[in-house]
Amino acid sequence: MRRWLLWFVIVPQGFLLLGLLQDLGLPTLDLAVLASLYLAWFAERAALPFLLLGVAIGRTLVDEASLPVHILVLGIPVALFLPLRTLFVAQRWLWQAVAAAILAIAIPKLSGLCGRVFDQPSLSSVLNGWQVTWSALLVPPLLSALRFVPPFAAFTEPDGFTKVVSR
Amino acid sequence: MAKKSAAFPVGLYAMLLFALAWLTLPRVFAPVERWLVGSACLVPRVAAACFGEPALAVERESRARIEELSAQLDERIRRRDFAGTAISMPAGDARILCGVLSVSLRGGGGQPSELLLDHTYAELVGTREVVTKAGALVGFLLKPGVGRARDDTYQDPARVMLCNHPGAPRIYAALENRDGSLLRFVLEPAATVDPAPLRVDLWDDPYRAAQLEETQQRVFTQALAFGEQRVPPGLFVGRTRRWGYEGEGEEAPLTIGMFVTPAFEARALSHVVVWRAGDVSVQEVPTPLRSSRRAAATVYDLPGASHGRHLLVCSEDVPDGAAVVQDGLFLGTARGLCLGSGLVTSFMASRQAWTLLLLPDADAEAPIELHARVVRAEAGVAWLKLTGVPLEQMARVGRGYLFTGSNGQFCPAGLWIGLAETAAEGFQYLKVTVPMGTGPRMAEVLVGEAPQ
Repeated sequence: MRRWLLWFVIVPQGFLLLGLLQDLGLPTLDLAVLASLYLAWFAERAALPFLLLGVAIGRTLVDEASLPVHILVLGIPVALFLPLRTLFVAQRWLWQAVAAAILAIAIPKLSGLCGRVFDQPSLSSVLNGWQVTWSALLVPPLLSALRFVPPFAAFTEPDGFTKVVSR
Repeated sequence: MAKKSAAFPVGLYAMLLFALAWLTLPRVFAPVERWLVGSACLVPRVAAACFGEPALAVERESRARIEELSAQLDERIRRRDFAGTAISMPAGDARILCGVLSVSLRGGGGQPSELLLDHTYAELVGTREVVTKAGALVGFLLKPGVGRARDDTYQDPARVMLCNHPGAPRIYAALENRDGSLLRFVLEPAATVDPAPLRVDLWDDPYRAAQLEETQQRVFTQALAFGEQRVPPGLFVGRTRRWGYEGEGEEAPLTIGMFVTPAFEARALSHVVVWRAGDVSVQEVPTPLRSSRRAAATVYDLPGASHGRHLLVCSEDVPDGAAVVQDGLFLGTARGLCLGSGLVTSFMASRQAWTLLLLPDADAEAPIELHARVVRAEAGVAWLKLTGVPLEQMARVGRGYLFTGSNGQFCPAGLWIGLAETAAEGFQYLKVTVPMGTGPRMAEVLVGEAPQ
């Protein structure tokens, strides 16, 4: 219960915190990319639906589209990347960087598509080249750090964790 | 087994299906969203108390100037929308200016074909069927309980069927050739895949019609010699769009099809005029549809607010799409959350389509209705991409004051956005300078009245 409380309190505020840090001059990084990759490759499978809900709530705070649109925009890439967990056994940084770059392109594109289909266009549908670059560079180290801190640590799947450690 | 569950995550797919159901039935799930997102806003709301005391956004002189401009806009709208129709409509008829709450239902040319007005059917009892605007035919008012409006009651907002609605009646119209001769025809709603909303069905002289060389000719309604005159003669319908082959050398051109683009872009409509016979008297009934009741609120910048997201704390529940106004300045629209809070997306940061009104800088010039979307914003300047601006109005789009058009029940026409000027990017673009403030600010939210 505690881990869920922490997830729903901390993760949505993470989007605001990142906005604040970017205003202070940090590189432009989309937290949705980081969270999606964590959900797809490291999070507990059984907990995915509600973990996704927490991330979508956070994105609703900073983006004008509604909550269900964010669930779709984040959930579809997670559903597509999830089966790849079994292929990329070692979860190497190179694959994470490639996946982060793909997600940094796919999420705005999907935002644009969902915005057109459901008539909820939003600012996040604009593709930013810098965001793609920074996602590829920063997401792998951030993921390796975040997996060991709450609330992410409580949801990191044991087998994924041990494989990374044994490597 | 683990591999199977990884390949087919049932819970995740169920959540995606749930999101689709949510989008299909937004009203059912709206309270869920209000509470989920509203709870997440509690942390910034508590933190907002540390951001400082709210301040007024503009000085008293500026506020007076905005009020003066708003009054000017209202006066010019009435002058434009009421003008020109007197020659067609019976003398002594009363004119009712109605706001447009929304447009819907794809009709001819793939364009919207139905308007929802800010007046109920009860308020429009005894009005004529024809709906006009500045000497042009807009559409036909539906009757509650009859035909397409059989499920509507007198307390519902009135609906107008535009000329391109699949159920709209045929229009008897004509175009005037250069030699002054008339070419008469019957207009009907086009198919959704057609290039324009209206299509010419029957010509009185198909031979002359096949040899038409011009396009963009003005089309007016015609008087009928026999039968019921449903539409008065002399109303402007739109401009022609000719489809066919150009003649080579001395060969005459060949017209295959003729379409008509209506005088107004439906998505840009903010107001229309409904006519009531002079001898009909109706008791005024107050309606919550046009309530402009505002509630006091405070707007806080959310972290990363340079991106145009704000936290709104209000004394009442905030309806979705409610306009947030700072001393006459339109800030943006709010998404209502629980416990009197809301999230505001500023006009600059929004990417939604807006119905707008441009009040030209020149004295006495009529306002221009626009349908536009913000495509780019930088340091207090937004670039809007315009869609469907009629030919007559295109040349007039330029320097002026930009106001909201009718963008729903809680975002009415006439809220000042900023100063507009032509953009270097092309005639389809408009550059708007929007006054921006930072820090906590006093504001008002249009909450309206709850329906009785």
